[in-house]
Amino acid sequence: MHNIVFNKVSKTYHEKEIIKQLSFEIKEGERVVLLGPSGSGKSTTLRMIAGLEDISDGELYMGETLINDVPAGDRNIAMVFQNYALFPHFNVWDNIVFGLKLQNLPESEIKERAKAAIEMLNLKGYENRLIQSLSGGQKQRVALCRAIVKQSPYFLLDEPLANLDAQLRQHARQELIKIHESCNSTMIYVTHDQVEAMTIGQRIAILHEGVLQQFDRPEIVYDNPANLFVASFIGTPAMNLWPLITNNGQVTIGSSTLELPPYVKEKLTTPALTVGIRPEKLRLVPVERAMLHGECQYIENIGNIQNCLFQVNDMIKGFIQFSGLENKINIGDSLGINFNWNDACFFDSETGINLNSKQSH
Amino acid sequence: MKINLKKELIGHIILIVSLLICLWPIVFLVSASLKDLNQIFQYPLNPLPENPTLSNYFTVLDRFPIFQFTGNTFFIAITVTIFKIITSLLAGFGFVYYRFKGRELLFNSMVLTFFIPMSVLIMPNYLLISSLGLLDTPYGVILVEIVDGMGIYLMRQTMRSIPKSIYECAILEGASPLYILWHIILPLVRPSVISISIMFFINAWNEYFWPLLILKSKTEYTLALALPMFISAEGGSEWGLAMALAVLTSILPFILFIICQKYILNTFIQSGVKG
Repeated sequence: MHNIVFNKVSKTYHEKEIIKQLSFEIKEGERVVLLGPSGSGKSTTLRMIAGLEDISDGELYMGETLINDVPAGDRNIAMVFQNYALFPHFNVWDNIVFGLKLQNLPESEIKERAKAAIEMLNLKGYENRLIQSLSGGQKQRVALCRAIVKQSPYFLLDEPLANLDAQLRQHARQELIKIHESCNSTMIYVTHDQVEAMTIGQRIAILHEGVLQQFDRPEIVYDNPANLFVASFIGTPAMNLWPLITNNGQVTIGSSTLELPPYVKEKLTTPALTVGIRPEKLRLVPVERAMLHGECQYIENIGNIQNCLFQVNDMIKGFIQFSGLENKINIGDSLGINFNWNDACFFDSETGINLNSKQSH
Repeated sequence: MKINLKKELIGHIILIVSLLICLWPIVFLVSASLKDLNQIFQYPLNPLPENPTLSNYFTVLDRFPIFQFTGNTFFIAITVTIFKIITSLLAGFGFVYYRFKGRELLFNSMVLTFFIPMSVLIMPNYLLISSLGLLDTPYGVILVEIVDGMGIYLMRQTMRSIPKSIYECAILEGASPLYILWHIILPLVRPSVISISIMFFINAWNEYFWPLLILKSKTEYTLALALPMFISAEGGSEWGLAMALAVLTSILPFILFIICQKYILNTFIQSGVKG
């Protein structure tokens, strides 16, 4: 078994707790993304798995072994660093076989493995090149190659695409998924980029200030965020979040008073409710038939779609996203907006917790 | 462009003038070593010898065991350099890559040792060497100089400029810290190691006061100690011979510096120490 289990793992640094009681399990062969803003503790979590940071409290298991005190070199982990961490005085080949030589593998096997990895990452012909003569994308591939040849059951990546330009990144994402599918190791990927997280992760663990917010499949994280933080962090533009006060199962948004669906009414414990709805779930309709009435304040045209910021009143603002071809609206126009309650999420305004969250992990 | 040219010109003039000021004693030294005694005391002073003669050099080589002095000096200088480099590398490596309680405090107190005047250290060091029975041996000179705060500081600064992930990556590949120091870090800091070695070597080569205290018998003398042998307080100093010996003494460090000056300048520019 090559799973990873966190059991109440904490990390204290300079008397500040930066990872708080982390408990979750990464399954064998799974592709998990640790996602969070900077300072959320995602890199620290990865480095604790690698053994580059001590664990202050709790238990970390890899397979059946408790690895709290196992030195980094004995954990059989392959890791790719954000700055690639290539050895600048070695050529490409020596960088790739560095770890294999340390393992005292027979020369023929080293050659075989290295050649296969070089083939896979299209680095053929670059074996004798020095590191400083390579482009960013090539360096990144050498770093990946060095990690792959180890054939270790755990594959850790710390923002490996952050130093690439946008076009290369999409290609590299596909390549990473392909690599994972062919080598079947347990892959843990750290990023602050939600597009990378959504496309690469089979499951996403979202961290905020050292606390795990949600750990689930990308579509669930997107459609049913566990709390207000996840709702506001995932998606561009972010989910519209409207803090409202319920009154007898009804809410008032601007001039409209709307009846809440029965399953929400059942779960209400306090009148303070935050309704969240994704911009693309809002629809433009003629003003007479609209549930909400707003005024267009700003339009962003991204070509295929438009993001429009509208204001209902001083409290309620939001984005609506629609196809640029279907509708032509201008700043200052009155908008009629409809939505389906089934597309909305409901959060307790005080605790921030999703009233309908499914704890599926 | 014109303004730049003017600036360049002024800069060069300043450099040339300061170069001449620095060079003057050396010119005087070399020219005096080629003069006989009468010419040395000639007034007004003539910077160039009238009838250059190598007789001073021959006399020095003839009357003094100069090769033994050179051998003594070389032994002390090279041993001190090797030890200082080893200790600087290891300590610098520890300060950069190991996280332990009191690391900053330890480092700062080590930096503080730069500011302890040598005169304060002489007494305890002398007593230590004396009680170890190392007086009048080169080991007595070497022992107090095997660790150097400046060397540790410079090594640490250089190693800090290497991304830490390179070390971490090598650790994950299963390399031991000493393996990493030797195969990964050392090749990357080699220019600094070369320049710091030269600095250590020249300092040890020129060291005067400490060997003077420790070394008593003439057979153990270093070149720096041999220099004043031609100059007596009662007059009758043989300046020509002293100058010839001084020239011979400076040749080796001078050559070393010329060969390695590229590395030396880089190290000091990188670490932000301006000489």
